Amino acid sequence: MSKKHTFHVSGTHCASCKILIEDILKEQDFIRSAKVDLKKEIVEIETEGDKNSEEIASFLNEKIKPNGYTLSVEKILKENKNDNTIWQAIPIGLAFLVLFFLLQKSGLLNLGLGSKTTPATSFVIGLIASVSSCLAIVGGLVLSLSAKVSQDEISDKKNFILFHAGRLGSFAILGGVLGSIGQAIGINFTFTAILGILASLVMLMLGLNLTGVFKRNQVTLPTGIFGFFRKIEHKTLTPLIIGFGTFFLPCGFTQSMQVAALSSGSFVSGFLIMFAFALGTLPVLALLSFGSASFAHGKHAPLFFKSAGVVVIGLGLFSLLAGLAGLGIINPLFNI
Amino acid sequence: MNKTSLIAITIVILGIIASIFILGSKSNGGANSASAENSQIKDGVQYITINAGGGYSPKVSSAKAGIPTKLIVKTNGAYDCSSSLAIHSLGFQKILPQTGETLIDVGTPKAGEPLRGVCGMGMYSFLVNFN
Repeated sequence: MSKKHTFHVSGTHCASCKILIEDILKEQDFIRSAKVDLKKEIVEIETEGDKNSEEIASFLNEKIKPNGYTLSVEKILKENKNDNTIWQAIPIGLAFLVLFFLLQKSGLLNLGLGSKTTPATSFVIGLIASVSSCLAIVGGLVLSLSAKVSQDEISDKKNFILFHAGRLGSFAILGGVLGSIGQAIGINFTFTAILGILASLVMLMLGLNLTGVFKRNQVTLPTGIFGFFRKIEHKTLTPLIIGFGTFFLPCGFTQSMQVAALSSGSFVSGFLIMFAFALGTLPVLALLSFGSASFAHGKHAPLFFKSAGVVVIGLGLFSLLAGLAGLGIINPLFNI
Repeated sequence: MNKTSLIAITIVILGIIASIFILGSKSNGGANSASAENSQIKDGVQYITINAGGGYSPKVSSAKAGIPTKLIVKTNGAYDCSSSLAIHSLGFQKILPQTGETLIDVGTPKAGEPLRGVCGMGMYSFLVNFN
């Protein structure tokens, strides 16, 4: 006796989800075959025995729930709820963007800070940098990756600690290297600008993903950067490497500090300048990542993810246009 | 809150963002073109002064075409993006000293070919028109 059942499945966001769900389902004794259709978000199974659909659905639900999927006989209608969340998220996200741009315009951040760079001044510069226009790219990236990681897994705090450790460590060590080699190398503008454009593209994609606008495409994007992030985000090394990579992201303050480290003349002074600078940027960036973790596990998680998505899309667009202008590809569209 | 009022709020905020950008560049441009006395001619060489730090000022200025011209970029405790200056038409890219003056040879500019400088991240820029 075999029977066919079709269930609706939700929570599938990648090609590997198909394999994972099929594997879990096939482990069950009474299931002969299981086939997941990602596009339609359904799973077809062939069973032995005479259980009815509801019983099977609730039994299987228990099995796949830990992995973040849900099975149901009826299609879960989330559309209405989602609609409302996104309309709440857009004004919230935009309000944050307004605050950010107003802060840039206010001139509050253009403090005169003597001409001598010491670890103490570079710490203050780090504090300023972390709320300056650099936040658009570094903070935007941190926010989008943090929200994404929190959305996908529970052990996000470990990843964040690794990211911040990687950032502090690489700033200090690279600062020391710059200090010891002196003027031998120049920091290439074009390289950082291209890196910035890549970062803003990643932000745009993650932002669209967070808002849920790209639901369809999300499923049909098995490879590319997404797959890449998904594959590597579980490893210890990745957050460390991304932290390291932020050294090269375009940020005027970082570049000034790099020059200061270059001309500081010794490993120790370069090390201290860059470490103090990274330490200064830590409070805001840590707030962004650990803040998103606590929101992500709270009651307002869907609203948070969508609002964060709106903020990230705005910052991503801003950095993309600015980056293209910085490379001389387009004329500057704005002058904050 | 219902959807309609949320959409209304969205439109209002979008309007605020647009006005930050549009009014921002307009008022700065207007104020500066009036007070754009930033060039002087000495020994047959025209010197144009631009201040860098929290953006560039004046953002828009004008100078004479057809004479050898040099650009003086002054920085005073500038740590932000404006200290990493790129002038693509000259192939110039440099991180300016935190405090000091940088002299950039512009050659002999032609009328109608403005000189544009942008900071490394592209959020600040300045423009010098030649006529």
